[in-house]
Amino acid sequence: MSEVAATDDSVNMTVIEIEGMSKSYRGKQVLESVSLKVEKGEIFGIAGPNGAGKTTTVECMAGLRQRDGGVLRVLGLDPQTDRRRLLPRVGVQLQEAALPDALKVGEALKMYASFYEKPADWRALMDEWGLTERQRSSFRSLSGGWKQRLFIALALVGNPEVVFLDELTTGLDPSARRMTWGLVREIRDRGVTVVLVTHFMDEAQALCDRMAIIDQGRVITHGTPGELKAQGRTESLEDAYFALTGGQAA
Amino acid sequence: MRGITQVIAVELKLIARDPMSAFFALAFPAIMLWVKLRNGGSLPSGLSLADANVPMLTTFVIGMAALVILPATVAQYRERLVLKRLRATPASPGMLFGAQWVAHMLLAVFGTALLVAIGFFVYGASAPANVGGVVVAWLLAALSLSAIGFLLGAVVPSGRGATVIGLSLFFPMVFISGAIIPRESMGGSMRAIGDLTPMAPAVQAIRAGWEGSAMSPISLAVMLGICLVAGGVAIKAFRW
Repeated sequence: MSEVAATDDSVNMTVIEIEGMSKSYRGKQVLESVSLKVEKGEIFGIAGPNGAGKTTTVECMAGLRQRDGGVLRVLGLDPQTDRRRLLPRVGVQLQEAALPDALKVGEALKMYASFYEKPADWRALMDEWGLTERQRSSFRSLSGGWKQRLFIALALVGNPEVVFLDELTTGLDPSARRMTWGLVREIRDRGVTVVLVTHFMDEAQALCDRMAIIDQGRVITHGTPGELKAQGRTESLEDAYFALTGGQAA
Repeated sequence: MRGITQVIAVELKLIARDPMSAFFALAFPAIMLWVKLRNGGSLPSGLSLADANVPMLTTFVIGMAALVILPATVAQYRERLVLKRLRATPASPGMLFGAQWVAHMLLAVFGTALLVAIGFFVYGASAPANVGGVVVAWLLAALSLSAIGFLLGAVVPSGRGATVIGLSLFFPMVFISGAIIPRESMGGSMRAIGDLTPMAPAVQAIRAGWEGSAMSPISLAVMLGICLVAGGVAIKAFRW
């Protein structure tokens, strides 16, 4: 494992570096000590039980929350002190975030594009992500799959170098999920680094180049999906996940 | 300020798509103007009812946009995590909330224009005697009442909650501050209480400008003070 990482390091560039990051809310320790590295151009998965600290980790990386301690660099910048320089270079899709109900798809893309100095062509983006036919649909009227498609497009409208996707497929039906996987691969194929929080091991297996499992505010293991299966001595990534988190196998 | 025209345009469209905002800021004051002017008449001072009510109801419109609709928008955006998503973009908070203010005050401008047009063409109201004074008073009224609106929007967690609190501030205030009942027709004690509300200096300054009487510098200073204090507290208290 370490040999693989070493050879990769010579080719790749570290995009995100976290060392001993901690965070507590109202006295409750959410992140004990999170350490991980994300390399340029990969899809990096973050998995773990509810309340493990996945969303907090991502929100710290995206400059939405302030960590209490530890080192955090995204594209070489500290999201806490260098927000203004970092935000134009990253895109996010947040769990449960929304748009105003009456806002139309085209209006949302056009407005979000106007926030960036060098935005993508929002009409081209709308076309590429199949949203043009829904251009005049209000956010309220979109199904879950279409909303996620719009959120992905909004995450990309600033031409980001890194995209954070937090539980992108939760609540989607199986076909919308499969379709969304294709979209995530397309993002990576454009050279954009993707950090993907997920609950689903089939999703992690299908998409992630490397992943970390977070439990109780710590990274308990990381590696390629194949390496995690080897660590858990299991056939499936899901069984490995249960073996490694100490949860019950299905 | 990148994106400010986009955000203003989008917010205006969203306001226009919400029938409640359009009704309460545009149609409702116009209907009240009709109710109050349909029989004609004048105040004991000889001022025509049209010349009193157009500037009075203008304050109603500003208050509706600033104290009810604006905080409801901000609080609902927080509740639905619209603000959180915006926060993850390079859009500056000053631009976002400045655009919110402009969009909501444009609604109040439309409402004001509607009242003036109806008053002028239907009820023969006279043109404002001191146009510059009316504009200054209108802007200070919009700034002071919006600062209170932003403070509400900054601390109330839900859109519904902000609407309820906004309305419960707004309605007693419009009745006792002289925005609906002319100050001249109110009893002394009621007027004294009304004068303590933040809407009272707005009503007095806009009416004074309209009638061409001297505008009280105290009214203008009080509005500026409310804007600075409430606005400052709103910025301190604000949570995404």
